Amino acid sequence: MNAAHVLAASTVGAGAVVAFWILAVISVAAALGLVLAPRAVHGAVLLAVVMLSLAVLYGVAGAPFLAFVQIIVYTGAVLMLFLFVLMIVGVSAADSMRETIRGQRLAAGLAGIGLLVLLALVVGHAAIGPAAPAGSNYGVLNVQRLAQLIFTRYVFPFELTSALLITAALGAMVLAHRERTSPKPSQRDLARQRVRGDHPAPLPGPGVYARGDAADMPALLPDGTPSPLSLNPVMARRRGSAIRVPGPGVPAPLPPGEPGKDGGPDAEPDREGAHP
Amino acid sequence: MISHVLAAAPAGGSNPTLASFYGQPWWMIVLKVVVLFVFLMLTTLFMIWAERRVIGRMQQRPGPNRAGPFGLLQSLLDGIKLALKEDIVPRGVDKLLFWLAPAISAIPALISFSVIPFGPEVSIFGVHTPLQVADLPVAVLLVLAMSSMGVYGIVLAGWASSSPYSLLGGLRSSAQVISYEIAMGLSFVAVFLYSGSLSTTAIVNAQANGAQFHLFGVILHWPSWFAVLLLPSFLIYLVTMVGETNRLPFDLPEGEGELVGGFHTEYSSLKFAIFYLAEYVNMTTVAGLATTLFLGGWRAPWPISVWSGSNAGWWPLLWFLAKVGILLFCFIWLRGTLPRIRYDQLMKLGWKVLIPVSLAWIMMIATIRVWRSQGGSVPVYIVGGAILAALLALAWAGDMASERRRVAREGPADDEEMEGGQSPSGAPSFPVPPLDLPHYHGIGVAAGVAGSLAGRDGAAAGIGGRPAGPAASDSVKEVTGA
Amino acid sequence: MLTLYVPILMLAALAALFAGFSLVMGALAGPKRWNRAKLQAYESGIEPTPQPSGGGRFPVKYYLTAMLFILFDIEIIFLYPWAVTFRSLGVFGLVEMVLFIVTVLVAYAYVWRRGGLEWD
Repeated sequence: MNAAHVLAASTVGAGAVVAFWILAVISVAAALGLVLAPRAVHGAVLLAVVMLSLAVLYGVAGAPFLAFVQIIVYTGAVLMLFLFVLMIVGVSAADSMRETIRGQRLAAGLAGIGLLVLLALVVGHAAIGPAAPAGSNYGVLNVQRLAQLIFTRYVFPFELTSALLITAALGAMVLAHRERTSPKPSQRDLARQRVRGDHPAPLPGPGVYARGDAADMPALLPDGTPSPLSLNPVMARRRGSAIRVPGPGVPAPLPPGEPGKDGGPDAEPDREGAHP
Repeated sequence: MISHVLAAAPAGGSNPTLASFYGQPWWMIVLKVVVLFVFLMLTTLFMIWAERRVIGRMQQRPGPNRAGPFGLLQSLLDGIKLALKEDIVPRGVDKLLFWLAPAISAIPALISFSVIPFGPEVSIFGVHTPLQVADLPVAVLLVLAMSSMGVYGIVLAGWASSSPYSLLGGLRSSAQVISYEIAMGLSFVAVFLYSGSLSTTAIVNAQANGAQFHLFGVILHWPSWFAVLLLPSFLIYLVTMVGETNRLPFDLPEGEGELVGGFHTEYSSLKFAIFYLAEYVNMTTVAGLATTLFLGGWRAPWPISVWSGSNAGWWPLLWFLAKVGILLFCFIWLRGTLPRIRYDQLMKLGWKVLIPVSLAWIMMIATIRVWRSQGGSVPVYIVGGAILAALLALAWAGDMASERRRVAREGPADDEEMEGGQSPSGAPSFPVPPLDLPHYHGIGVAAGVAGSLAGRDGAAAGIGGRPAGPAASDSVKEVTGA
Repeated sequence: MLTLYVPILMLAALAALFAGFSLVMGALAGPKRWNRAKLQAYESGIEPTPQPSGGGRFPVKYYLTAMLFILFDIEIIFLYPWAVTFRSLGVFGLVEMVLFIVTVLVAYAYVWRRGGLEWD
């Protein structure tokens, strides 16, 4: 007897039981890790593990469509949104332990108790009541049977989902969208601006010296003076903030504020145009 | 179990079904899995070599031709060399995720190829088995699920590297992949409408024969490939499969000119190699999926399919590999031909063109199918009319919008002619740079350097080849004309 | 039914083994000759920008992208079973799916109109 045959023999038998116990250990461990992980992003990844184990459990229970929907929608889309939000907010370990909203812990505790009661009811119901029979809705024809149910018996909830989706889109727009106050300059506008501006041709490139970093070193003009045009104003400001001190042999840095004269904010779009 | 084995064994027919995948001996499964794995590795090595050779040929140079015959061993040696390179883990990275990310991007890529059928049932060591590792009632969903898992590798790699290039690359890449995944998912819907199943074997079987028709006494078939029947879906899929794999012209996430390497900038040694492998395996997968869903899978193309033996035995493997190979060649061809598009253009194409077009196409095809099966019942006419009206309204709205834009553009264009009209002939002139720019005289250059005006001006003119001064009008005209 | 998953799980295990092996090999096989510059983030030669603790930040704009992705993902998930059983659902199925898509398109049109689909 080999593994494949054992699994084949046991639609609800040994294979499913083994899978359940393995997945139970993995998902509970991942869930504990999610709560205890010091970094929020690690927590999100562990949540993905929990959801994947859930998906595999659905597959084992004979619901392939639900299993993959769990991966595509929850792990792939919803959790990706979580991850994006974490990366938008940029939670660090220090922030997360502080109570920012008053009564947050109390509310969280109450919600936790409520969830616990709900879970107890569900588990109790499943344990006491009879298990659902593994009928024709399971297995190979799962998708077709599911569709028959969604699009006939549960039409109304299905149509209501679309209203929910509208709400989600509106909410996202309200939260995350910033209207443009001025029209976006097109490529045509930028080209025209560049040709009309002071520098139709590209600006001189930065200097390259053995002992300096090219992008933040000004080019030298033929008379040996540094050309501020060759330096990105942002770089010049960073140099002005004394991040690094040029070593001997490297031309002295420009006095801070000097590059601002030409490379001020109004010169920046021009520069972007010059270095596509 | 026994009933499964018995059901599968006598099914000696050429067309496998889902039932053919029950009761395979364990060694057969292991054999197939290992062969598929080796196939994907070899395809990756071969593709990297082929890409460099073909691009080389397109650019009038030989490409790698030293290691082995025709340079075939080049990518293998590159891989070995990568393994012997230092594995740099920069300071400040999130160690755990930095290590996990390559694995997260490679494993799903390798898994999704398991549901692609290579051929019909063949006999291997006396056992009848389909030339396909696995099939599920929801096989196509597996590919979609795995591609959405692969995005994690990209996001986490970009984030964990804690470098601006990686972060931007990861962000762009994930946003691009999820945007194109929607259009990709929508392009499958029409296929499922026709095949009535999500299983890849069933989809290939559904493309077996078109409707018959008689011509001069010969029985011929209409084309049965979904690429022909559902051409818009196929075209949308072709675009999304390039976008989904982050390849040129959609390779913004790794645009060398702006983001160095994108999300894998900080990766080196075998970690980098794994990202590379994932990219090429993903390419092979989307090409295999295109073949399966739209190009008839392993079935022989038309002139060959007249020969009755073409779809039996091991021949189909050849047709399948040829189709995948042609699609992969197109990837290289695109890379050799097209420039990279801008990020806003990329997102605009995904969200404002591919998604609405797919939805409209799905609705149209569904309405036509209902109309054909039900005849013209009232609801069908209402729905069809509504869709048509909506399309017309959309076209009209788009027309109005472009008209508004055109009017808005005309305004500035007029005053440009007035103020820029320096040309003596009075012809509409291109905006010519003013003949006497302030910085020719050192104004605008830092005051501290404005010491020797004259010498600098002369030097600048000499170096830049750009004449300074009023005597330069001829050559300005020349520039304008060019 | 479970038999169908066995080859996929095997391939997953093989892929995971391969990935794990490569990661470990890459760390073990290569030389270790690090210096300070090598351990810094690569920024084309300039001093690396200091990164905020807790990782870099994404622009908030991408929240909208992710949300729209969920929206259409769910729509696609409903479209698949509908497409598969399309023949037996007939006119009724067509009408309800058109209603669903049109409702979702309202959200899409709103986002488009407000400029949510513009990228820089």
